[in-house]
Amino acid sequence: MAVIGTGLAEKLKIHRFPQSKYIDALRWLSPLSASDRFVVLALHDSDSDASSIEIHALDHSNLNLQSSWIPPSRISSLRVSQTPHKPLVAASTFAGSLHILFPDPVDASLESELSLPENSLHIGPISGIDLQGSGCECVCVGEDGRVNLIHVGDSRLNYCQVFDSHGLVSYTAAKWASPAEFGTGGFGHSLQWWDQRKPGGAVSQLKGNWAQSTSSGIVHCIDIHPSRKHICLAGGSAGTVFAWDLRWQQQPIILSGIGPGETAAISPSESEVWEVQFDCYMQSSNISSMSSSRILPVMMASEDGILAVVEQGEEPIEVLAEPCAINSFDINQQNPSDVICSLEWESIAILTRR
Amino acid sequence: MNLKSYINATKNLEEHSRQCYAETIILSSDEFVEMMLLDACFLVELFHSGDFSTKMPGRVSDSGNSLVPFSPEVPDPIIYPLHHGLTLPISRLSISWSRGNCLRVSFFPKPSPDPCREDSGNSNGEIGGKVVEVKLSSGDGEIDDAQERRIAYGSVSPFALLQSRKNSFSELSRMSMSSSSYHVDWWEHVMEYSRDIDSLLGNPKPPPSSAIEDPKTVLKTVEEPTCLKAAWELMEIFYVDKQSQAWLSERLVDWLADYDSLLSGTEVTVHSKLVDLQKELVDLQAIEDDPKYWEGISSALAVGWLEIAVKLLRLHGSYQLHQLGKRETENGLVETVAVLVSKMPRMRPELAAGRLGECFKTKPDFIKAWEKWRGNITKLDCSGYWIECDHRQTKEGLRKILQIMLGNTDILSNTTCHWMELYISHFLYIRPFTMGLEGMYSLAQKCMQLKLMSTPHKLMGLILGILGENTEVVLAECSRAFGPWMVAHAIELLTAGSNQAEILLHEERYNLGGISIEELHRLVYAQVLSSHALTWQIAPIYLMSCTKQGMGLLEILLYKQPVHHNKTLLKILEICRLYELNSLGSDIMKIAGIYHWKHGRKGAGVFWLQQAQDEARLNRIAQQLFDFVGKSICDESFKQWEGLIELLGSGVRSAGGLEFLHKYRDFKKSLQQVHDGKTIDAARQAVESLILLMRNPSTPQRFWLPLLHDSLKLLSWQERPLLSVSETNLLLNKLQELSMSRLRPDFCEADLPPQALSSVRLALATNLGRAILEIKGIKLGTVIILCKLESMLWFCWSLDFSLGVLGLRAVDGSCFALIELIIGLSIAAQLMRYYNHHHLGVHLQSEFTLRMDENNIITPEEETETALHHKGTLATSPIITFTFRSVEYQQYN
Repeated sequence: MAVIGTGLAEKLKIHRFPQSKYIDALRWLSPLSASDRFVVLALHDSDSDASSIEIHALDHSNLNLQSSWIPPSRISSLRVSQTPHKPLVAASTFAGSLHILFPDPVDASLESELSLPENSLHIGPISGIDLQGSGCECVCVGEDGRVNLIHVGDSRLNYCQVFDSHGLVSYTAAKWASPAEFGTGGFGHSLQWWDQRKPGGAVSQLKGNWAQSTSSGIVHCIDIHPSRKHICLAGGSAGTVFAWDLRWQQQPIILSGIGPGETAAISPSESEVWEVQFDCYMQSSNISSMSSSRILPVMMASEDGILAVVEQGEEPIEVLAEPCAINSFDINQQNPSDVICSLEWESIAILTRR
Repeated sequence: MNLKSYINATKNLEEHSRQCYAETIILSSDEFVEMMLLDACFLVELFHSGDFSTKMPGRVSDSGNSLVPFSPEVPDPIIYPLHHGLTLPISRLSISWSRGNCLRVSFFPKPSPDPCREDSGNSNGEIGGKVVEVKLSSGDGEIDDAQERRIAYGSVSPFALLQSRKNSFSELSRMSMSSSSYHVDWWEHVMEYSRDIDSLLGNPKPPPSSAIEDPKTVLKTVEEPTCLKAAWELMEIFYVDKQSQAWLSERLVDWLADYDSLLSGTEVTVHSKLVDLQKELVDLQAIEDDPKYWEGISSALAVGWLEIAVKLLRLHGSYQLHQLGKRETENGLVETVAVLVSKMPRMRPELAAGRLGECFKTKPDFIKAWEKWRGNITKLDCSGYWIECDHRQTKEGLRKILQIMLGNTDILSNTTCHWMELYISHFLYIRPFTMGLEGMYSLAQKCMQLKLMSTPHKLMGLILGILGENTEVVLAECSRAFGPWMVAHAIELLTAGSNQAEILLHEERYNLGGISIEELHRLVYAQVLSSHALTWQIAPIYLMSCTKQGMGLLEILLYKQPVHHNKTLLKILEICRLYELNSLGSDIMKIAGIYHWKHGRKGAGVFWLQQAQDEARLNRIAQQLFDFVGKSICDESFKQWEGLIELLGSGVRSAGGLEFLHKYRDFKKSLQQVHDGKTIDAARQAVESLILLMRNPSTPQRFWLPLLHDSLKLLSWQERPLLSVSETNLLLNKLQELSMSRLRPDFCEADLPPQALSSVRLALATNLGRAILEIKGIKLGTVIILCKLESMLWFCWSLDFSLGVLGLRAVDGSCFALIELIIGLSIAAQLMRYYNHHHLGVHLQSEFTLRMDENNIITPEEETETALHHKGTLATSPIITFTFRSVEYQQYN
C-alpha cells in the first residue's frame, strides 16, 4: 500500500472499498448515536448513465447500504448539515436542480425530499452549494454567474437571487462564514465575499491576478473555519492552496503552490487541488498557542493522487499517495481522525489516524 | 453444425425477415429461405475473403503473412432477436456505437403515404421511430465490466513500473555493453510484475475457515477461480519463473489442482467427480462398499491430490473403533497405503504446510528416493496380506491405488477424465524424471487423442501453444480467449527471458504499418480503454509506451474528450501537462473557451482563451463583448463587470482587445470620484486614463465619442485646463477621424444626444485655447469667467461647424490641427478683445506667429494682423475670413 509520510505512516489505517461506479462526491453524515458512522455517496454509473445518492453505514470494515435515492441528473455538489438531531443532505445536479433530503437521524433511511427543478435557480449546472450550520439556509452558485439563496422550510423550498453577473463571472464554490456572510470562488483564482445585509453585489473581492504569472487557475473549493470567520481558504489549480484574510485584503497567504513574486511555498502537488478543508485533527495539539493571523492546518487532495496536510511555513505532510486522482474527501467533524476520500478509479478509502 | 440447422434457423426468422422488407416479397417459403441463406453466405464470405479490410492483421486474405491464425470453421451462429415494439414494416435501420459497449440501433418505420389515415387508424402514428440500446458483452460473463475495470486500474502501476525499469535497464546495458547481467536480473523484475498482476486477478483473501474442521469435507471451498488467473499463472510458470524450470511438472500439478474446477464447466473432471462424491459422503454409512468412493480416491491420487486421497482413505469403515477388532488386517492395509501415498517423493523445493509428500531438491536424491518408494509399493503389492483381507471392494480399490502409483497406463487412463488430468498423471507416475519442456508437447498430443474433448476449453488452446513453444499461437490464443488486456500485459511475460520471442515481438513489421506486434497490441488495448468514460484516463500510460503511433493516438484521444465539465477538462489538461503536449493543451483550452462563450458563460470563455493565449479569438469576442458593454455599462451594472475585469488582469497576461475594458473601468472609476469629490487630483487621474484609453489602439472607435462625452466635465474644467496642448490635439485628431468614419456606411452611432459631437468639439477647442494660454503664463481666472458666457459658446459652435466642413477638405492631419489651433487662438483673442484686454491680444498674436513658425508655415503676417486687430469690434465675419484664408494659403502651399 502506498503510504508515504513523515511520522504518519505507521499511525494510519486504511480501508479501501472498491465500488463499481464513479464517485462524484462523498460526505460523512453525523448520526444521532455516537457509535454509528454514516457516509453519503453520490455515485454515477457511466454505462447506464444513472446516478444515485446512497447512504451507507460503516461498521468495522464494511459498508452497508441503508438507503438510496435516484436524482434526475448527475450530482455536482453534495453537502450535509452537521446537526445530529436533524441531519440534512443537500445535493445539486449538473442539470441545475437542487435537492434536499431528510434522512432519519437514527437509521439514515430517507424520509422525505424537497427539490427545485432545473432552470429555476441556474441556467446549466450548479457548481457549488453550501448548507448553513443550522441547515435552514443554502447558498448555491453556478457558472452562469448567479448566486442564489435557498430557504429550507418544512414542506417547501423558497429561493431568492442574490446576484446575477449574466455569465461575466462564473462561480465554482461557495461556503458560509456566518448566518449573513458567505464566500465564493471562481475563475482566475478569485474569491468574493458576500453579505446578505449589503445586497447588490459582493462586498469585497480578492483580485484574480495576484499570482502575476502567465497562467492562472480556477478555485475548486473553499473552506472557512467556524472559529476564524475572517479567513477564507481556497484550493485551486497548479497545487495552489491559499488563504485570504479579510483584514489584509490585498495579498493572499500562500500555503502551497506559487505565490506572488515567485515565492513558492513547498507544494506537495503540482496539479488541481480538488478539495481543501481545515484539519481539526492536526490543530488540537497547539491551537492555544496560535495567533489569530496564523492559518490553521489544512488538508488537501489533488489530481495527482496526493492527500496531504499543509501548514503555514512548514513542510507538508503527505498522508496518502495514490496512483490515481483523489477527487474529494471529507473529515469527520465529530471524529476528526477519520477521513473518507474518493478515488478516481471507482473506489473509496477510509483513513483512520491514530 | 450442418446446412439443415442453418435452414431451420433462417426458417424460424422467416416471418420476421419478410416484414423487414418494405415491399412484399413474392417468393414461396422455401425460396425465401434459400435467398436469405445465400445472401448470408455471401456476406460471411465477403467478411472472410479479406476484401473488406486488407490491412487488418489476421484476415485470411494474406494467409502467408497472417499473424493470428484464423480458423475458417465458423462457430454456431447465435441469433438474438431485438424487440422494438414498432408496427412493421421498418423502412430504415441505423446502427452506431453508443456509450461503452453499447450498440445503438435506431428503427425507422415506413412513413405512411396517407397522413389522414395515419391520424385516424394507426395508433403508433405519433412514434417517429425507436432507438434500442444493445449491450454487447464478452460472452462468458466470468468477469463483469466493473471487475474488468478494476483489473485495468490495478495493472496500471505494475505496468508503468516495469516500463520505467525496462528503460533504465536498457540504458544501463547500453552504457556497460554487457547484456549478460541484464537477463540475470530482468526476469526477477518481470516476476514481481507478474505477481502484482496475478494478485489483481483473483481474490487473495482466503475464505474464513471454521475452527473445527469437518472430517467429511474433502474438498476445500475456495473462491471460484477465473480462467484469466489460470491463464496468467500458466504463462508465469512457463515464461517468467526461471526457478520453476527444474520442476515444471510439479508446477503443472499444482496449477491443475487450483484450476481443475474450471475445466468442469465443459467436461467431467476429477474435481466434478469429487464434488459429487462430497455430496454423497454425508449420507453414506459404509462408504467402502460404494465403488464411487474408491473411484474418487484413485482419481484424486492420479492427479496428485495426495491430501484428498489420504483423507478419503482414513474415512474407511475399518477405522471405526467398533470395527477395528474385526477388520484389523484390512485396516492395516488401508493405513499402509495411506502412509505410502503420503510419503510419495516429489522433486520440488518446498511444499506448503499441510501438503503431503517428501521434497527432494536434486535429481539424484529424488531418483534414489523414488526407487525406494516404488520398491515399497511393489513389496506391498506382492505381500500375502491381501489374501487375508475379506472385503472385496477394499482389496480391489487398494490394489488399484497401488497400480496407479506404479504407473499403470490403463488404470491411469481410466481413473482420469480430462486429457489434462491424464497428462498430469503421466508426469507423476510414468515419467517422473522429465525435466523442462522436452517431449511435453508430443505427450500432450498423445493424451488428447486418448481423451477427446467435445468442446475445447479456452485454456486448452493456450496450453497447447505454450507446450508447442509457438509464441504466435500463444498470443493469438490470449487475444481470442481473454481479450486485449491479456495480450497487452502478457507480452511482458513472453519476452521475459526469451531472445527469440523478443525479436519476434519487437520487430517492426511492414504489414502492420511499421509497428511491432508488441506495439500493435498495446495500441489495441489503449483503444479499448479509450472507449470507456472511466478508463480513458489510463490509456495514455499504454500509448506512451508505444514509440511509433502512441503520441499521435494520444493526441486524437485527448481531442475527442468532451470539455463540457470543468473537471473533465482539467483532467485532460493535466494529461497534456504531464506529457508536455502544450500546443494540444492550448487547443483544448480554445475549444473550451469557445464552448463556454457560446453558452453565455463569458467570464469562463475569456478565462480559457486567455489561458490559451489566443489573441485572435479574444479580439474577436471582444467586439461582441463591447456590444454588450455599450448596452449595459452604466454605474449600477458595473458590479457585474468587476469580476470579469479582475479576471482580465492588468496586462501581464494577454487579454487581446479586452484590456480596453480594464482601462475603461479605471477611467469610469476615477470619473465617478470626480463626480463625487471633485478633487483636482482625481480629475487629473481621470484625464490620464482618458488619454491612455484614447491613445490605445485597441479602444474601439465606437467608444470614442461616448468617452469624450462622458468626460465633458473634465474637458471644461473650471479651475484650469486639465489637458495639455498635445493631449488636446490628440483628442481633436481622434474626433476628426471619427467625423470622417461617420460617413462610412458601417458606422454605428452611439446612443448620445445629437449635439454631443459639437459640444465635445467645443469643449476641446476651449481647452486648447486655455492650455495655450496657460503655457504662456496667462492668468486663467479671467478666461474662465469668459468661458461661462453662453452666447460666446454658441458663437464658437457656429464657427466650429464651418471648420468641421473645412476639416473634411483638409486631408492632411497636421493642417487640420493647425486650423484647430488657430481657432483656439482666435477664440481666445476674440475673448480678450471683447473684454478690452488689448495687451493680451497682442500677446496672442506673437504666440500665433510662433506656432505658425513651429509648423514651418510662413505666416502671412499682414493678414493675420488685419484679422486680429479688426478695430476691436466683435464680429464673426473677419475670423471666418481669416480661417478660410489661412486654409487656402496652406492648400496653395
